[in-house]
Parts: sequence; structure tokens; C-alpha cells
Amino acid sequence: MQTLTYPNVQETLYREVLDNGLEVIVLPKEGFNKTYATFATKYGSVDNRFSVGNQPAAKVPDGIAHFLEHKMFEEPTGDIFAVFASQGASANAFTSFDRTVYLFSATEQINANLETLINFVQNPYFTDANVEKEKGIIEQEINMYRDNPDWRVYFGLIDALYHEHPVHIDIAGTVESIRQIDKETLYRCYETFYHPSNMLLFVVGGVEAEEVFKLVRDNQSRKSFEPQGPIGRYFENEPSSVKIARKVTELPVSLPKCMIGFKEKKTDLTGEALLRQEVTTKLMLEALIGPSSKLYQQLYENDLISDSFGHEFNSSTGYAFSVIGGDTPNPDELIAQIRSAVEDTLERGIEPTAFERSKRKKIGSYLRMLNSPEAIAGEFTRYRFRDSNMFDVLDYYESCTLEEINERLREHFDFGQLAVSIVESPAK
Amino acid sequence: MTQFERGQLQRIRLHVLPTKRFKTFAISLFAGLTLDEATVTPVALIPFVLRRGTANTPETIAFREKLDDLYGAGFGFDVYKRGDSQIVQFRMDVINDAFVSSNTSLLAASLQFLGDVVTDPLLENNKFRQKYVDAEKTTLKKRLEAIVNDKIRYAAERCLEEMCADEPYRLHPLGKLEQIDSITPEALYKHYEQWLENAALDLYVVGDTSLEEVTQLVTGAFKLIAGTPSSYSLPNVNQTVKEVKKVTERMDVSQGKLNMGLRTGVGYDDDAYPAVLMYNGILGGYPHSKLFLNVREKESLAYYAASRLDGHKGLCTIQSGIEFANYERAVAIIQEQLESMRQGNLSELELDQTKAMISNHLRELQDSAYEMIAYDFNSVLTGKQRSAQQLLEQVQAVTADDIVKVAQGVQLDTIYFLRDRKEA
Repeated sequence: MQTLTYPNVQETLYREVLDNGLEVIVLPKEGFNKTYATFATKYGSVDNRFSVGNQPAAKVPDGIAHFLEHKMFEEPTGDIFAVFASQGASANAFTSFDRTVYLFSATEQINANLETLINFVQNPYFTDANVEKEKGIIEQEINMYRDNPDWRVYFGLIDALYHEHPVHIDIAGTVESIRQIDKETLYRCYETFYHPSNMLLFVVGGVEAEEVFKLVRDNQSRKSFEPQGPIGRYFENEPSSVKIARKVTELPVSLPKCMIGFKEKKTDLTGEALLRQEVTTKLMLEALIGPSSKLYQQLYENDLISDSFGHEFNSSTGYAFSVIGGDTPNPDELIAQIRSAVEDTLERGIEPTAFERSKRKKIGSYLRMLNSPEAIAGEFTRYRFRDSNMFDVLDYYESCTLEEINERLREHFDFGQLAVSIVESPAK
Repeated sequence: MTQFERGQLQRIRLHVLPTKRFKTFAISLFAGLTLDEATVTPVALIPFVLRRGTANTPETIAFREKLDDLYGAGFGFDVYKRGDSQIVQFRMDVINDAFVSSNTSLLAASLQFLGDVVTDPLLENNKFRQKYVDAEKTTLKKRLEAIVNDKIRYAAERCLEEMCADEPYRLHPLGKLEQIDSITPEALYKHYEQWLENAALDLYVVGDTSLEEVTQLVTGAFKLIAGTPSSYSLPNVNQTVKEVKKVTERMDVSQGKLNMGLRTGVGYDDDAYPAVLMYNGILGGYPHSKLFLNVREKESLAYYAASRLDGHKGLCTIQSGIEFANYERAVAIIQEQLESMRQGNLSELELDQTKAMISNHLRELQDSAYEMIAYDFNSVLTGKQRSAQQLLEQVQAVTADDIVKVAQGVQLDTIYFLRDRKEA
């Protein structure tokens, strides 16, 4: 067991990689009633073409990682939610671009709940009948998102940005793609990505580290896993240009929703370099367009944005893009004013005071995040799967310089790399 | 378990929970008034205008910069209803100075900020600045118009509106669209003065501080109005349903949203409240509940099928997203579940699971400053003193008979369905 201390945030982390490759992290939080645990596999919606060892690569239907997540909750003995409920735990799971996460939070019977979490995720049970039955449920989930304009404008933007990279595919797939899913393909995906060496167990809250490690070691020693060769993930070459400059989706909305995004050309970053890019881009966007920026006030006063206006930066090895936008009565005018402010800033650079302010803001929100076991587990896992460490983020925010964010500004805002996604009401 | 320390400063009740568990101070100010068609819209507009600037910091950009300088202090507000009250909640959270090299007290600066926002707004000729009022009227309008964008929320709110058509609860907490245009800066300022004079005001602070410190800081930070605190009145939760109301609305949607409204006849202060919590939990509060198992798992009719309890108003609402063609079937299955609860088809397992889940929730809320505040505020709202620990014990003691008694008093009031435009 490895002990990692982070005195600047007063947190201590314990880490161990078991013989079968499973990585386990425990973060005890003194005084907390709750324990929150996540069991995550580095397997998300983008991993749709893969191989193990010397196997040939296989392509699987869109939405299968998410389908698999749904199906894991069914055990030969019934629904696993019932077991968690009997043990007073609320359980859930989610699938994102690059990971699938199973989780529970509980205040009692922590050991039993941990066993349940590990065991159900390590025990797939798919039958032709239960796979068929799930299709109806997921179809309704897909339809639910179809009616959600925020979801549509966001995924519309990613679809406009990417030609080939599977990040542009809806995480749940489509009604047509999930119909192709069968139990054999589910088992194949499961065997590949749910091997312990591709997974991370994170436990945070009112726990004692050694007790957790002992439980996990004992649990794992009762099971046998064949050693597995490295997983190969294959992606088509992604052109550096955007796929569609302007994508419009019709849905009844009170005001058009407009999101714009800039697609990064350089997407081979990994580990620390990827983390540094994320930190500098977020600081840069906050200084340029955050709620206390001149641009934000100008757009608000011109009635081009409302409180829904925001920005984010989404990156991984293989893709990276910003998302800026919200509700607006006039998407073209909004884009024009953002463009002119960005061009102006490109000439003069970000103001030093705005930079210092956004730095403070980001540091503050990072520290606030550490109050939340859910956020810690989520962020830690996200960074860990990209070979970086969430606890380095604070240092990066502190050491980031004005020169770096100005350079990031120049690199990121290339108007040839801009795509726009709009959701608006159908013309009457 | 640590307790809130209570104090009072003129019209404000103070509630302070000293704890070292968090890296932040959490601050909430609740200002509540009875929901009233005549005041609901201007009262909703007040916090929007207050967040534009104060006498000390008139310009919005400087106001926002101040927050960033306080290490990105979180500042926000919400307007919602509880029982028959419209509540404006201001929220701030700021990190504990111990984690940063700050030479001013961030708690003091935050309370000063909140005090300025609420009690020392920017005034020009004894009224709010015209430009801010105009802009925030537009913002409020957009917010009301945007409700329809999220079909799940829209359907839930429409169901309540139909269900409570003859009660103040029909009103949306953000007010009425058609009342916004006529609000002038003068009129709004008058409403603001009355609001400050009449609203029930409760200030909560959770963090590494004390009642003494907060009392002293608030004295300096708030321009206090002399008087004593106002209290909340309890809503009437006993309404008899004569006939089930059925409403179908058509819109361009891919999925039908089915919402059903039930009256439980039990309010937060009622001794049967723990039993009604259990009723909701068994019916549809969790993935082990009857609705999830029968509508989703057994029939594959929906992705979500759940119920939610509004304990202050005594309402239980059911929501599910379904194929248009499955409307009749889904309604029938849901009604079967209601009937099965009335008949007492409650297994030991369902009881145990639901007790374990509710107890877990009550223990977990101790880990979140805002959840502790929200829980404690229930007793301010209702006058019912019942700690989370006491409620937990009462829930554990609920019997199947208690739940059946609740179930037999539950009345289905409204069935609301949002569907596509195609006629069947």
C-alpha cells in the first residue's frame, strides 16, 4: 500500500495495484458519515473498434458500452438494485465517452456494499431474453434525450466538429444500432474491457484504508482472471477540419439554443501535457468569457445571452474542443460579437487583472469541489484514465502564467476550426 | 451530532452550525412570503435586480469581479415554493481562509457582500436603476418562456398547475409572464421594501465559525430593519377530490410524458409524515420501488417511472416517459400499483429496503452543509421540531398498517399527458 499526502489540500490518499492488475484507491474523509465508491472501467462510447493481444480488431454497434452498463445490473438472482436497497445503499451507473462507472453511496454496511459492487460488476449475466427486453427501455431513454434541446444542441455540436472520431456518436447509440446488439457481442466487450487491469476502484468517505484493501484483496483472491494482453483501440484518421460549419436542428424551443466550438488540430497529447492544456484553456476561457468578463457583460447587456450562457473544454487523446454558448435570440449576432471580441483580444492579449481573477476563481472552485466525495471520485477517475493526477491540478492552476494563456488563446481560436450548432423552432 | 446555534437580530433569525468538516463556509438566506397572485411576479423579479449591483458596487462587472476576488465565491439565488409560500433563497459559499493566503476574512467579506445585496441595493432617485430592471425583466421572461424547453419539467409543472387550479400553489414561483411588462422601477422598489418588512428571514451559516462571530458580522453587514421575525403559515393539505381530472396536451415531442398527481392529506408536521415518506418510497422513490419494477423492468414501457413527494404541500406526483400508444396501459399499471398499496400488498422486503434507503439519505445529508441547512429549514417552515435522527427513528418504527392507512387516504387527483400532435 502506497501513501500519498497532499498537504496543500489536507488530503491523504492510499493506493495499491493488486496482482490481477486492479488499481484501488482509498481516500478517508474524517467526520463523514457517507462512503462513496466507484468501480470504473476505461471503456466508453468511443471504444467501438478494438482488439486484445494478437486478436484481429472488431467493430461493435454504437451504444454498446451504455447497453452493457444497463445489463450489468441484472444478475441470475434478480435485480442488483434490490440488494443495494436492502443494504441501505443508493446505487447507480453512467457511461461517458471514455469510461463506464458503477457506484454506490451508503452510510452503513459498507463492507457488504463494497462486496456487492465488486461482485456484480465482475459477474455478467446476459441472456437472449434479457437483452431483448432492455431494448425497449433504452429506446425510451434515447427518445427522452431526443426531446431535450440542451442535449441536442450539445451533441449536434460534436457531430458538426467530427467526421470520423466516435466521440460524435451518441453515447446511447440509436434505436437502429441498439437493435443489432446481442448477448455474444456484449460478452465480447465485457471480456475485453472489464478485466481488472483495465479498472479502477475508488473509495472515499468515512472508511479506514487498510480495512478496504483487505476486503478487496480477499475478494479478488477468490476469483481468477486470465492475464490479458494489451487492449488496442482503433480510430479512423480524423481530418483536422470541422465536418459541418453550421448544423441546425429543429425542435420547439422558446429561444434558439446556440453552441459554438473550436476543434483543436493537435490531439496527440497525453498525461501531464493533456492536463496542462486543459488547465490553461479553462483559465483562458474564464478570463475571456466568464461571468465577470467585459465580453460577458457586453453580450448580456445587448440581450444576446442569458444566465444559461457558459463555456467548457472537453479533451482527451484523440479529440479536443471548446463549447461556448447558451440561449440566444440571435445566433449570428452572438457569434459575430464573440468573434470580434476574440480578435481584439488576440491583438492585445488577456488583461493581467482578468487573468489573476480567473485564477483565483478556479482555485476556489477546485477547493470547493473537494467537499464533495462524488466530485472527488469522479474527477480522480477521469484524470487517472488519462494518465494524470487530479491532485496536481491545483499546482497547475497556481503556476500557470499569463504568457501561457495568451499562447493558448492564439492557438485555440482559429476561426477556420469553428463549428456552430443551433436548435431552433421549426418555421411556422 | 452538532446542533445549530440559534440567535436573532431584529427581523432575521440566525442559525449557525459550527463545524470543521468542510473546506468552505456555506451561507443561505431564506426570505419567504405567502404565495399571492398580486405579488408573486414582482417578488420573483427582486433577486434578479438585486444581483446586478449594490450601493457600494453599482456596476455589475465590478460586482462579479468582487466574487472572483473572494476566491471565486459562489453566489446564487433560487425562487421556489414550499407549502403555500414563495421563497427566495440566496446562497453563498466561500472557501475557508485556512486553505489560501488571504489577508481578509473571507467569511466577513462574504456576509458583507450578501448584506449589501439584500439590504443595500443600488438606488437612483429612490428607485432601482431603470436599465437593470429592464434587463432583468427580459431575463425573467426568458426564464418563464424556457420552461417549455425541458419537456419533463414542463409536464411536471403543468400537472401541478392543473391539479391546484383553485389554490395559490398553481402559481409558478417565478410569477406570471403577463405581469412582467407593467412592472416599473418605482413599483418594484415599493415591493422590495414591503418584502423586506414582511418576509420571514432566516440566515444560515455552516462552517468553522460561531454564533457570536456571525452575529457580530451580520450586525455590521446588514442594514437591519427593526422588528421581530415573521413566521410561516401552514398550507391546507386536506382537499377532497370529487372527480379525477384528465388533461392531454399536444406538442412536437418524440416521447409522451405521463404525470399523475396524488393528494396524500399528510403534511410535514403530521405524525403520519414518516409513513407517507415510506408510502412514496415503496411506490416510486427508488429503483426497487413498485413503479420502477412494474412499468420499467416488467413491461419495458419506460426508461423512467418514479414518484416524488412534496411533503409540505402533501402531494405525491408520478412521472414517466412512454410511447404515445402505451398511455392506457401505463395508466392502468400505475393505478394497479396504487390499488395494491391500498390493499396492503407490501412485503417485508419492500419495507426493509425502503427504510434502509430513507435512513441512508437522512444520514448522508449530514455530509453536506446545504442539505443540513435545507433539512433544518423544514422546521422553520412548519414549526415542527424533528431532527434527522428523530425522523430516522420514526421511519424505522413505521408498520405496514401505518402505510396502508396512508394509502387509503391517498386520492388520485389529476392525470396529465403530454403527447405529439398526430391524432390517433
